[in-house]
Amino acid sequence: MALDLSPIRISLETSVTATAITLVTGIAAAIWRANRRGIGAALMDGLFLLPLVLPPTVVGFLLLLIFGRHGPLGRLLLHFGATVVFSWPATVIAAAVVSFPLMYLSARAALEQVDPRLLQAARTLGASEWCVFRRIALPLAWPGILAGTILAFARALGEFGATLMLAGSIPGRTQTIPIAIYFAVEANDLHQAAAWSLIDISISLTMIAGMYYWAHLRSPERTQWSRR
Amino acid sequence: MAAWPTAILLCFLLAGCGKTMVHSPNQPVTLTVSAAISLKGPLDALAQNYNQQHPDVRVVCNYGASGTLQHQIEQGAPVDIFISAGEKQMDMLQNEGLVTPGTRRDLLGNQLVLIVPAHSTAVRGFDDLAKAAVKSIAVGEPRTVPAGMYAQQVLGHFHLLPALKSKLVYAEDVREVLAYVETGNASAGLVYATDARISSRVRVVAIAPANSHDPILYPVAMLKASKSPQAAGAFLDALESPESLALFEKYGFASTPAPAAVH
Amino acid sequence: MALEIQFEKRLASFNLSVEFSCGAEPLAVLGPSGAGKSMTLRCIAGLERPDRGRIAINGRALFDSSKGINLPARERRAGLLFQNYALFPHLTVAENISFGLDGLPPAQRTARVQKKIAQAQLEGLENRPPHELSGGEQQRVALARALAIEPEFLLLDEPLSALDTHLRGQIERQLIATLAQFRRPALFVTHNMEEAYRMATNLVVLTKGRVAANGAKETIFRQPPNLEVALLTGLKNFSRAKQISADKVEALDWNCTLCVARAISTPPAYVGIRAHYIDFLEASPRERALTNTFPCWLVRASETPFGITLYLQLHHTPGETGAYHLQAELFTEKWLQLRDQSQPWHVRLAPESLLLLPS
Repeated sequence: MALDLSPIRISLETSVTATAITLVTGIAAAIWRANRRGIGAALMDGLFLLPLVLPPTVVGFLLLLIFGRHGPLGRLLLHFGATVVFSWPATVIAAAVVSFPLMYLSARAALEQVDPRLLQAARTLGASEWCVFRRIALPLAWPGILAGTILAFARALGEFGATLMLAGSIPGRTQTIPIAIYFAVEANDLHQAAAWSLIDISISLTMIAGMYYWAHLRSPERTQWSRR
Repeated sequence: MAAWPTAILLCFLLAGCGKTMVHSPNQPVTLTVSAAISLKGPLDALAQNYNQQHPDVRVVCNYGASGTLQHQIEQGAPVDIFISAGEKQMDMLQNEGLVTPGTRRDLLGNQLVLIVPAHSTAVRGFDDLAKAAVKSIAVGEPRTVPAGMYAQQVLGHFHLLPALKSKLVYAEDVREVLAYVETGNASAGLVYATDARISSRVRVVAIAPANSHDPILYPVAMLKASKSPQAAGAFLDALESPESLALFEKYGFASTPAPAAVH
Repeated sequence: MALEIQFEKRLASFNLSVEFSCGAEPLAVLGPSGAGKSMTLRCIAGLERPDRGRIAINGRALFDSSKGINLPARERRAGLLFQNYALFPHLTVAENISFGLDGLPPAQRTARVQKKIAQAQLEGLENRPPHELSGGEQQRVALARALAIEPEFLLLDEPLSALDTHLRGQIERQLIATLAQFRRPALFVTHNMEEAYRMATNLVVLTKGRVAANGAKETIFRQPPNLEVALLTGLKNFSRAKQISADKVEALDWNCTLCVARAISTPPAYVGIRAHYIDFLEASPRERALTNTFPCWLVRASETPFGITLYLQLHHTPGETGAYHLQAELFTEKWLQLRDQSQPWHVRLAPESLLLLPS
């Protein structure tokens, strides 16, 4: 059985890119939200968590409306001669949108548990807000953010419904591993489906173990299970 | 720092990376064919053949549920040719003016069959469905799955709907119906003849007569948004060649009864 | 060289309204918990924003509601010592101390950090994380960190309350020495009056968001302006008073008449005497003939580590209820002499030790 291995490359590229995007946007959204209270902030929470609440197919449909030919972003991009639907960036967009809530929630929890007096001390010592974030808040929130990164990566790797809607299933361009599994099952080729599933599991385990190992190398005492 | 402007900016960058290919005489023309999942087997083989015989053209097949494919096309997906598993989706695209006039034809037909688990003997025909031993019958959801709609028509034709209403289990696609019957969770199911062929764990016990449902047709058409209408037209013709139709028949599809009707 | 503070801020349970200034000598803000001391400190540091008022250092306005000035904390050049030190747990001692020094060229930064480490006697601990240090060492790091940026003024929030009692004496002496060297306005808040007295030159007494007393510490302790401040500064014995003549008052709760040292200007509402200033007289008749001398009996005695607290009933033997008139504090040597004497003992409330407190 000749297996076209492009889904591996596509899935990896998509998941890593999407996770990088959600890392930046999730932390930014968490910072923005941390300083706000009231109804407006609560509504933004609802918006940020929407992809978690809606079925992925519905998320995909909404993305299709936004990025399609008639949609606000779609029309804008058309001006520059670019189409998102059926392109590889569509897989990244779908994966990033569905994994964003996981990163956002983790980043927010991690940042909120940093002792505010440490941030205040940094301010009195003359640090700018960016410096306070980069040198105090972020390093202390790191374990929680790492957990969020792993969650987001796992979600991005397994993303299917929204991807199929927005990016289609184009072998070599947008067909990710979950889509390959789906089509194998549809065609009743259960051997191929099982093969892809094993590959998927191996990739997840390797990437996640890799992330933990890298974190352990950076700061061994912070990632131990038993803290002082 | 707000999340959305950053996301939009990144979209720009990413979209730039994945722009549709520039058509230059030296690069092969890419044709994107969106087709219903049930056509994957034969269409993949056809496309591979065509690519080998025509090195200046590269046919890429995008499969999905007919409804999803229709939405994608409506929202501007760059598709050259669309093959639907039902008339409804093609009709809608035509009404929205997205179909190149004169290119729509009914490419294939199919039959609806009654299947049971391979070793089951309880059901031998449509009449047996009303028996008490039959606890559940799997069919596609009639509003979204074309096979489900035809199933409703067939059961209605045999006046079985009132008796069976409480036994019907709706699935979101044909693969699910097959799975229910394969595992014995459903005593029987209604699927296309082409679907029944792919599973060795189900057995066809009856074929719905042609007059018990609307004709099951797979319309094909070229889309106005196609950037390579000539190449697309050539591929359309290839789809209807005797060799192609023979291949489809091998997979269990029927060629359309009447000569190709041009809408 | 002064830190001028005047502002108001509405808080949940009361309005905070303060006005005082701090010169080059250390100032203690003394008050019970919940009086608004920490909030005052945070407003001065720029971590909270008053509703209106003016805060200025050496004439430079840090906050001025009438002019719309409100400098963020990082521009105020204040050194702040937090109650629990707020050391950055993920940085070493040296990194903590050098945190505010990014504006300096590297050579200068290293030199200053080393100097501060030497001054705080932290050599050998530069590369340790804060959680490996003792409480006293952590406090020295926090102070060194605040001083490293060479601030224009220092703010200390309950500097000794996080320490074990037996360490406090030593750390207190070090703090006093450091403050003496600092020579710029230094302000600390505390609820411990002994600490305030030992470390500060001037005192502000804060209760329920208002300044109840403001001035040199000796003045406030020896002549508290009213009963509230007297109580806050540790007065244990007080009685309602009524003026009888130009130099005599009657202590109503103690059933006695007292001569006072100076002519009375305003009629006092209370008279008081500090527990340490109650004299126990010898048996000689000459002593017992002095003014303000009364017989007393012991109701209860309570030992302290280095002395004894005596609860005394004046004029007659104590009843069953355990009620007492006066509380006296004695060191052990004096107690050992006293307890051999037979009761009634004789105490003297010396006129110069009496506190006359207006209403």
